[in-house]
Amino acid sequence: MSYKPKMARLMRRLLIGTTLAATAISLPLMTSTVMAQEDFPTRPIRVIVPFGPGGLADVTVRLAGEKMSEILGQQIVVENHPGAGGVAAAEQLLRSEPDGHTLIVMSNGTTIATSLFTELSYDPQSQFTPISTVAWFDLVLFSNPDTDIDSVEALLAKAEADPGSINIGTVNPGSSQNLAAELFRSVTNMEANIIPYRTSPDVMAALIRGDLDIAVESYTAFASAIEGGQVRAIAVTGLDRNPALPQVPTAAEAGVENYDVTGWNALYALDGTPDAIIDALHEAVATATEMPEIVQKFADLGTIARSTTPEEMADRFEVDRQKWAEVIDSAGIETQ
Amino acid sequence: METLANLGLGFQAALTWESLLFCLLGVSLGTFVGVLPGIGALATISMCLPLTFYLDPMHGMIMLAGIFYGAQYGSSTASILLNLPGSPTAAVTCLDGYPMAQQGRAGVALFITTIASFLGGSFAIILLVGFSPVLADFAISFSSADYFSIMILALCAASTLSTGSVIKGLLMVAVGLLLGLVGTDISSGAARFTSGNIDLSNGISLVALAMGLFGVSEIFANLCRGEYATVDARAITLRSMLPTREDMRRFWPAAWRGSVVGSIVGMLPGTGPTIATFMSYSVEKRISRTPEIFGRGAIEGISAPEASNNASVQAAFIPTLTLGIPGDAIMAVMLGGMLIHGITPGPQLLTDEPTLFWGIVASFWIGNIFLLVLNIPMIGVWVRLLSIPYHLLYPAMLFFICIGVYSVSYSTFDVLLTLVFGLAGLFMNRFGFPAAPLLLGFVLGPLLEEHFRRALVLSRGDLAVFLERPISLIFLAMTALVLAGSIPLVRAATGRVAGLVRKRG
Repeated sequence: MSYKPKMARLMRRLLIGTTLAATAISLPLMTSTVMAQEDFPTRPIRVIVPFGPGGLADVTVRLAGEKMSEILGQQIVVENHPGAGGVAAAEQLLRSEPDGHTLIVMSNGTTIATSLFTELSYDPQSQFTPISTVAWFDLVLFSNPDTDIDSVEALLAKAEADPGSINIGTVNPGSSQNLAAELFRSVTNMEANIIPYRTSPDVMAALIRGDLDIAVESYTAFASAIEGGQVRAIAVTGLDRNPALPQVPTAAEAGVENYDVTGWNALYALDGTPDAIIDALHEAVATATEMPEIVQKFADLGTIARSTTPEEMADRFEVDRQKWAEVIDSAGIETQ
Repeated sequence: METLANLGLGFQAALTWESLLFCLLGVSLGTFVGVLPGIGALATISMCLPLTFYLDPMHGMIMLAGIFYGAQYGSSTASILLNLPGSPTAAVTCLDGYPMAQQGRAGVALFITTIASFLGGSFAIILLVGFSPVLADFAISFSSADYFSIMILALCAASTLSTGSVIKGLLMVAVGLLLGLVGTDISSGAARFTSGNIDLSNGISLVALAMGLFGVSEIFANLCRGEYATVDARAITLRSMLPTREDMRRFWPAAWRGSVVGSIVGMLPGTGPTIATFMSYSVEKRISRTPEIFGRGAIEGISAPEASNNASVQAAFIPTLTLGIPGDAIMAVMLGGMLIHGITPGPQLLTDEPTLFWGIVASFWIGNIFLLVLNIPMIGVWVRLLSIPYHLLYPAMLFFICIGVYSVSYSTFDVLLTLVFGLAGLFMNRFGFPAAPLLLGFVLGPLLEEHFRRALVLSRGDLAVFLERPISLIFLAMTALVLAGSIPLVRAATGRVAGLVRKRG
């Protein structure tokens, strides 16, 4: 890697950055204009992300967005509006026009939020309309390499031999990770304490320290510790193996039946957006997610680039919503 | 020897044109947002993060890091000159910095805080260069029980933060603890004290609370008094900045102690610079032979916290770079920035990307030297920024506070909350209730509860865990010492109350 780029290249990068920032600032000032659908998009497209910048769901959208910009010929501007239940982000979208120039990222987390928050101020299923998924992520069961828990079998055997001794760490109650652990505990009938932490790094530190026997997290969150040999991946939660961890079995392969936790993030538009525009956007996502460069970059992050049709997406949302509603209910997680 | 070679490699990378440019850009921007109340490093870094996607990863990190530590330098300026902290961490600097300005010693205070910042920053950088891997392992060996005991110690130290009534100070700690409970309970997921308001489910924003209690309330108080704290830019000359020999004699030991406290607190994930500054202020007041001068312009009262807060932000890079475990929200955003470039910070970063690692570390030092220049010879620029007439300055400050609070989580509710805390702060100010202990209680409350509960879950409910773990035991023993030392203070306070009751009766 060279750290001496040419000054010209540097200045160009700076310029791109400044233009981007300027566009982001001036966008809300623009009023939407009536336009013929064939010349969609007529101006930069805002993508509202309900999480902070830098996370996996955010990074994958940014990477795909860059390619979509090239395909659509208009800049995709990613805006982060983090906040409980995705409310702040949803409000941004609801304030815009259904013309496809403002989109939102929905995720597995949204399907959970609809059950976790009894009075959510928006309804993603009726107010928003799906375009396509962007990335699919599984979660990973990690153990401390200093222990003898080197497989799901060993974990279940230990839980059996010494009931209640197993500590499983995850982030906040009601997070995908936490519910994945709850579901794992219930389908395997194992006795274990599920201990919530505030952030993923807290979970990682606790596992390395030996406070936890198992941590449930994404591949990316623990990537450095995997490479450093400080944690050991014993199973992945999806139906397929993780591209970054090809040697690690799925939970099903390890003998756990009826267990599949696969998260996703997807682009949604405001309900009432013309079909032709939804199709154009869907086409752009589908093309971007098939680009070898994107497939590779996503795989490096331990995620899979894959698009779905709007109909498939709507079905998936409903299936996941019901699944998590049951888990929340049976795990006794308090709703707000 | 290897370290020296590595450092050489680092300086080679950090002394290129582009690196220097981005370092300067970062620290200047950091100082700027630090000087302005409200807009803090987190918001600025989040806003700048997308820009770094277009930069070389090292340059991007150098710039973001520069914003982070640059803001710590800048945030003391407004604390000293206007009693308006640039960030929550600088609230402590108001306690003694503003009285110094009122005594016509603003120049000295600005000089001392800058030197203290440099010292603290440098101290932590040396730790980062020399002992990173060892210290990182040490830092993550702290379990929940250990954190709990540290928080208990910090909480007990809170009683020293107020200059007036001890009872009122403790009362404010309690209020802070209660405010800290608002939001989603980390253990059960239940919403507490949110009145069904989803805006409160993530808890009360620290920035909204701090800016309301310290920033907005100070502006209101000045308006109510009809006296306006104005800054005379011409009075801050280089000559006026020169401290006396006595000042320096008191500065050195305090700044060293601050650096040590700040480095230890800073490298522990999840603590952060606010706790570091409060702890080092308490330490100074505790061990001082003249605790009564604290709050009236004590040199130690600005030296230690400023050294501590800069040491803490530099030390926060130790677990982030060597283990990939970010200590706070800002570090987490920077970690995300590295992930975008396909770089995973962690134990192998040192071997895989030595130029990147050492380049960033070397840039810290260069950045700190830039900051020294920006904050001593060029202090006039920042002072002038604050010396515009009050009828322009106050609306501008309120504007920046609103923008700053809003930008943390794009929430208009937080802006309203800031106003509410501003009014509450005005009331507290009038009746002699100190705001600093409230802030400390607020920061510590949730951590205290979280770690206490988790420690007990891990020990299956056995309270002995707090005495069995050596680190925890040490901190609890220190707490006991602090409490024993407080007995005369408490007795004096209760004696006064009893006296009052007798008088009334």
